[in-house]
Amino acid sequence: MREFIDGAEAIVRGALDAGCDFFAGYPITPATPILLHMVRELPKIDGVAIQAEDEIASMGFCIGAAMTGCRVLTATSGPGISLYSENIGLAIMGEVPLVIINVQRMGPSTGGATTTAQGDIQFMRWGMSGGYPVIVLSPTNVLECYSLTRRAFNLAERFRVPVFLATDKETVATRTTVNISAYEQVPVRERTLTAAEAEFIPYHVAQPDEVPPMSPYGGPHVVRFTSSSHNERGYLTKNPADVEGLNRHLVAKIDEHVDEITLVMTDIQPGAETLIVSYGLTARAALEAAELARAAGHAVSTLVIYSLWPVPEAAIRAALDGVRRVLVAELNLGQYRREIERLVRDDQQVIGVHRVDGQLISPHDILQKGELL
Amino acid sequence: MTSAVMVEEKVVYERPESLADVATHYCPGCTHGIAHRIVAEVLDELGVRDRTIGVSPVGCAVLAYKYFNTDGAEAAHGRAPAMATGIKRVMPDHVVFTYQGDGDLAAIGIAEIIHAATRGENITTIFVNNAIYGMTGGQMAPTTLIGQETTSSPGGRSQTLTGFPVRMAELMAGITGSAYIARRSLHNVKEINTAKRAIKTAFLAQLNGLGFSMVELLSTCPTNWKVSPAEALAWVESDMVPYYPLGDYKVAEEVKPLMKRR
Repeated sequence: MREFIDGAEAIVRGALDAGCDFFAGYPITPATPILLHMVRELPKIDGVAIQAEDEIASMGFCIGAAMTGCRVLTATSGPGISLYSENIGLAIMGEVPLVIINVQRMGPSTGGATTTAQGDIQFMRWGMSGGYPVIVLSPTNVLECYSLTRRAFNLAERFRVPVFLATDKETVATRTTVNISAYEQVPVRERTLTAAEAEFIPYHVAQPDEVPPMSPYGGPHVVRFTSSSHNERGYLTKNPADVEGLNRHLVAKIDEHVDEITLVMTDIQPGAETLIVSYGLTARAALEAAELARAAGHAVSTLVIYSLWPVPEAAIRAALDGVRRVLVAELNLGQYRREIERLVRDDQQVIGVHRVDGQLISPHDILQKGELL
Repeated sequence: MTSAVMVEEKVVYERPESLADVATHYCPGCTHGIAHRIVAEVLDELGVRDRTIGVSPVGCAVLAYKYFNTDGAEAAHGRAPAMATGIKRVMPDHVVFTYQGDGDLAAIGIAEIIHAATRGENITTIFVNNAIYGMTGGQMAPTTLIGQETTSSPGGRSQTLTGFPVRMAELMAGITGSAYIARRSLHNVKEINTAKRAIKTAFLAQLNGLGFSMVELLSTCPTNWKVSPAEALAWVESDMVPYYPLGDYKVAEEVKPLMKRR
């Protein structure tokens, strides 16, 4: 069966199929449709959807609900991420699983409320004090809005960390015909809980990269939670060994498991000297550009990155192997290009294809910049 | 031969100097235009246009800085009173006002407006309450009435899920630093004239250094209420005024002589 839906509907469907039962958010273009769908859909399954007084409160609601055991979603755009920042830091510190949809629009500030952009790529990763990691996935189309939302919930539970879905106004607000059977069914990963009879040491890990099991508020254990540096029992501490152990753990649990998070699509052509790297909406232009270039007789390889953070370095290096130059197409002035530039060899050239005029990058833009016409 | 009769023409209605000569983006039947006009008339009458700075919200009035023929800014969502504070503290001889909607002032910006008043910040706030988020497409506002249907309160606002509509004038009147707090409506000519007098009192309070002043204006949103402009005006009177009674909620002693002067 085919249906005609937009990215917002696909995200909401993905969230519900992932077991999402709590949503909080605040109206903001172009993310509002997700709020409206959740307000309609969640009460039908005894879930909770609340419009908060602002984004700061929205994220507070989400953290509270996640600690009770809910699978939590919120959705906003750049200016809302700015206000989420404080509480995302809290969620990183408290190791709270939740999923944040960022429907990117042009910044800075109010910027272009109805203008698509990919300007929050570094902001999502580095927008919280301390610089500790989150996970960021980016869908390129409506079908992937569904499947990556489901993956985002699983990764949030697996790593007890906020997971962003980096979408954009065009992907979320444009209707597309999709075949329902094409939705990728991702098994639901349930939350790992401490057994009722076991002692609950909320942040105890044997190795830094381990993720401690949780216990919900109102459950069999006393659960304490703090925004401060804490020891394994969740109590505020200045003890250097405990503080260092915590901070290294927050990084190690992500960085030592990049392979579990990595999701890319490569299309390597033998003998290709050019690699086109892209993500999100822009990937659609990049793939079309590659087809046109090949039709014109140029050997071109492509790399679409779905898991932007942590940077899938091994997958990127593999795709870089053998090419002479790399085209990086993105709707900003080179945010992810920085990550590619630090991975290339000295004899490989990186060329950015960027637009910040509110228009989309076209296949022609990429071909022209890459001299592939 | 006919003799020409010279009739002296007298201008009885024209655009206030404080209102820029541009078309606005407001929907037909929206009362933002009336609110803009009476604010501009007051600025003209007080002769302060050239030393006035207006701070606009994020919301339907996001472009107010373009419509008032004064210095202006558009602040981040809810933060107009904070930006106005910075301006006023450095330039106390200037007239500084914010123009904010119900989402901007009563939801995301409620901390800023309350603290502007607690500081007795000598600024004036024009608060447009139309019980809905207009610009983002008709979502529930903090001032949405119980039972009122919006896109984010399908089936009508439920007090158990989203609480009660906030009465900002009453709330602000309880703050010591507030000098003049009033609620007026724009649903008919009499109320518009009354609203204009309140706005004048609010600006006079500022000009006399008496502290924070705010006039809440009950307004329409025919587009998102999904009614005609006439029905919208009638709904303000029949449904909004009973929940949001009109009147002066705080008149500091020093403000009273300013009201008698006219």
